[in-house]
Amino acid sequence: MNLWLGLLMGFKEIWAHKFRSFLTMLGVILGVASLLSMFSLTAGMARGMREYMTQVGGIEFVGVINQEVPPHQEYLWEISPGRTVADADAISRARALVTYVSPVVDINANVVAGAENFRGEVKGAWPDYMPINKHIVEVGRDLCWLDVETAQRVAVIGRSVVEKLWPETPNYNAVGETIVINQRPFRVVGIFEYYEREEDKRRRELGLQNAASGGGNRRRESNFGRGGPFGRKNMQIIIPLSTAFYEFRSANLVGKEDQGPNHKLDGLVFQVADTSRFHETLDRVTEILKITHRGIEDFGFDTREEWFDRIEQNVKSVRASGGLIAGISLIVGGIGITNIMLASITERIREIGVRRAVGAKGRDIFVQIVVESAVIGFIGGLLGLIASLGVMRILVAISPAENAPVLELNNVLISFSFAVIIGVFSGLYPAWKAARIEPIEALRYG
Amino acid sequence: MALIELREVTKRYKVGEQEINALMGINLDIEQGEYAAIIGPSGSGKSTLMHLLGCLDTPTSGTMKIDGIDVSRASENRLAEMRNQKIGFVFQAFNLLNKFNVLQNVELPMIYSSVPAKDRRQRALDAIERVGLSQRIHNTPLQLSGGQMQRVAIARALVNSPRIIFADEPTGNLDSNTGANILEMFRELSRQGSTIVLVTHDNNIANNAPRRIEICDGRIVHDGSSLPASPEIAKP
Repeated sequence: MNLWLGLLMGFKEIWAHKFRSFLTMLGVILGVASLLSMFSLTAGMARGMREYMTQVGGIEFVGVINQEVPPHQEYLWEISPGRTVADADAISRARALVTYVSPVVDINANVVAGAENFRGEVKGAWPDYMPINKHIVEVGRDLCWLDVETAQRVAVIGRSVVEKLWPETPNYNAVGETIVINQRPFRVVGIFEYYEREEDKRRRELGLQNAASGGGNRRRESNFGRGGPFGRKNMQIIIPLSTAFYEFRSANLVGKEDQGPNHKLDGLVFQVADTSRFHETLDRVTEILKITHRGIEDFGFDTREEWFDRIEQNVKSVRASGGLIAGISLIVGGIGITNIMLASITERIREIGVRRAVGAKGRDIFVQIVVESAVIGFIGGLLGLIASLGVMRILVAISPAENAPVLELNNVLISFSFAVIIGVFSGLYPAWKAARIEPIEALRYG
Repeated sequence: MALIELREVTKRYKVGEQEINALMGINLDIEQGEYAAIIGPSGSGKSTLMHLLGCLDTPTSGTMKIDGIDVSRASENRLAEMRNQKIGFVFQAFNLLNKFNVLQNVELPMIYSSVPAKDRRQRALDAIERVGLSQRIHNTPLQLSGGQMQRVAIARALVNSPRIIFADEPTGNLDSNTGANILEMFRELSRQGSTIVLVTHDNNIANNAPRRIEICDGRIVHDGSSLPASPEIAKP
């Protein structure tokens, strides 16, 4: 007997007992539905977190931070100049390992344009700051080295800044406008694109109402967006580093006394060229910085590596535990199949006898029963995939997540093949039993 | 060489603690093209004998050859092949599969003998034609009369062109008229050259066959032409 005929017979058998077969499949259907929904929910979660990670610079982003001096160097710490532009210059020479590097100074500023104003943070940086932080200029131009060399009073600003300063005109092209940062006029030369989650973008493009927030504003930010990396990124104002030093750091008043210019940086960020050589790169940068810091180890690294690992770890463990629970329900479905198949062979013992009498081998009977239960698993799996769409809707309705479930092909395949495997395995024992029935016994029965 | 050769064949069963000698030292030859009836009262061992001859079971001792092949110690798979290729069965209870139609029922033995699909259909149609049911191929057994069902069963028995056809009380579930028709069909098959072994407890039916093998208490008590020898079997 060939497999094709076996499959045909399996389908026929199932069709002959539609309702019973459906009840048998129900366990598998629900199992597959919950398995796939769970996979899709975690996939959505993972995607959200990865998007977040990319927004804040991705895994290749490294920040140089100040750190406690080790005890044996404590009496020396004053000889280190701290983080300065010299560090950035030195790191920038290691181009093979570091693609971009930028020093950063933060200026707490009052920003004014016309009648509108707000307090915010202005960052002085090199043009490299943009690619390190995955900034994309939508209108106008990026910062350039000439701006830095000649300390131009220019600024590239985020979309939300434009909206704050020109609230009357939506999507205003503010390039060429002047904004006043701590009483100094700056010309806006570029505006960043609006940063948001893929999902929000899709929703906005489709013109869908975001259930989480009402109101008529063109850009509504979810809770995740306003305080999160997207919101912060949209509120950035970037000016040339040199300008920031000349305009805001050339005098350092404490009380009424000038302490002289402040050369220290508030940040120093770079991008690793090859993440597979991440640690090697950090070692090299450490060597470089030890030279510029006169051997004092008063710096450390803020990397996303651990963060990334933790995300992957979390996703994996959620996936594993959810998968286990859903898998158990699928196995319960499999037990249901075994049970029904056992009942079914008792019911069909005469048929088995007839088949044996006309020449079926035990093996043929075995294959027939296994194929039949595999077909139940197969159909149950297919229906389960369809049902999972409904289950996901229900889950999203019950607990509106920030990240919508993502249906991934490999998850679909895993869930489906698990159903078929369960089908095959649940058929093994009934099939073995059926194959062992003596033909004479079977013919005598009934 | 005879088509079927039994030498000193015995069959013992264990029922609980008790051993039952169902067959004791059977010697039997059935030639190609013969039409024989095995007759005996219930409990005589005729069913056991038919199970052995039909390769549904193996003897406890002795040798049994069918078409020159020794099946007395054959494996389960070998027996299945024998049943499939060399033997056709007709049962008292027809034993058709009700969920399949006539054509599919007749095709069933060929499913287990790797006949290509298109040959399968043609051969089944030919066999159905031989039993005169070509009009009913798409009916299921439940839509047929008893006689028609038995004819489907005969078509199924014929479809793999077996060397021997075994019929176990083939008229037992039929009224006498239909039964007579079925018996006529066996005679016709016999004239066409088929080897047929009929198992029955009914003397009249046994009289259909030119050769009569009487069995009683596990032994052959008469083997010859269709004349009753044992008085108790002769009683109607």
